[in-house]
Amino acid sequence: MSESSSLAVREQFATADQQRETATVGMWVFLVTEVMFFGGLFMSHIVYRLLHTAAFDRGSADMNILLGSINTAVLISSSFTMALAVHASQEGKWRRLAGFLFATMLIGLAFLGIKFTEYYQHYQDHKVPGFWFESSGADPGAFQMFFVFYFAMTGLHAIHMMIGIGVLAVLLFRSGLERFTSAYHNPVVIAGLYWHFVDIVWVFLFAIFYLPGLHL
Amino acid sequence: MTEPIVSVKTYALIFTSLLALTLTTTLLAYIDLGVFNMVIAITIAVIKATLIVSFFMHALYEFKLVHVIIAGGILWFLILVFMTLGDFLSRGWVK
Repeated sequence: MSESSSLAVREQFATADQQRETATVGMWVFLVTEVMFFGGLFMSHIVYRLLHTAAFDRGSADMNILLGSINTAVLISSSFTMALAVHASQEGKWRRLAGFLFATMLIGLAFLGIKFTEYYQHYQDHKVPGFWFESSGADPGAFQMFFVFYFAMTGLHAIHMMIGIGVLAVLLFRSGLERFTSAYHNPVVIAGLYWHFVDIVWVFLFAIFYLPGLHL
Repeated sequence: MTEPIVSVKTYALIFTSLLALTLTTTLLAYIDLGVFNMVIAITIAVIKATLIVSFFMHALYEFKLVHVIIAGGILWFLILVFMTLGDFLSRGWVK
């Protein structure tokens, strides 16, 4: 396939608009399946939290709110640069597009770095569920369960971040080949939708894991 | 429908609003409001998610089918939560 034909409307579509709408609908449907994926975990967390509210609040009090809130700001910043990357691709400015894609990747990596720093702190505090877990106070099983949810959900989120960074790396490579124009840049917009979705998941994770223990 | 383009100014405004809401929700969490701590945290999270979906993901400017899919996703999640809680809370396990 030559360079020019890859940028043209594919043969199964009548117009470029139809091609864009198909890609957009496909991505949104995928994101709804992601809501189902994370939704089951959120629902389980609600049930456990209702049964063991005090233990879950104490678990939340062991979070590092400084790193957590900084990381929230970091992830929102990466969504902002991603939005600017989409805007650059719509205007056909491929150098700016490459710059913002790279910035988004770097900020995404910074998020993961801070996240893993927190994981290491939990490891040192013996707060990783398993053999060396140290419980305190009443309801030790539920206290440990808080950390099971915490690691499962933030871990799944971190995996999504890694996939997102991988997708951006491919886009960065393709934008370097000047593959995207103001007429064809669907992959950038679609990847942006995924990136922002992962940001939304974090907004809720921050609310259920970091905030409840602050008033203790 | 042609592609909706959101201005850089709008993106910047949403970005600052999201940062302000994060600061607000963090500071409010330090005050002990009982069950309302969680209510406020989730309400602000929903506002942030709405801003991200509407503007960063430009859903506000998209065609109707996208709106139907988003509504379907939200409806599915609410069915999950309300039917599960309807059973769970009626068992009298939560003091």
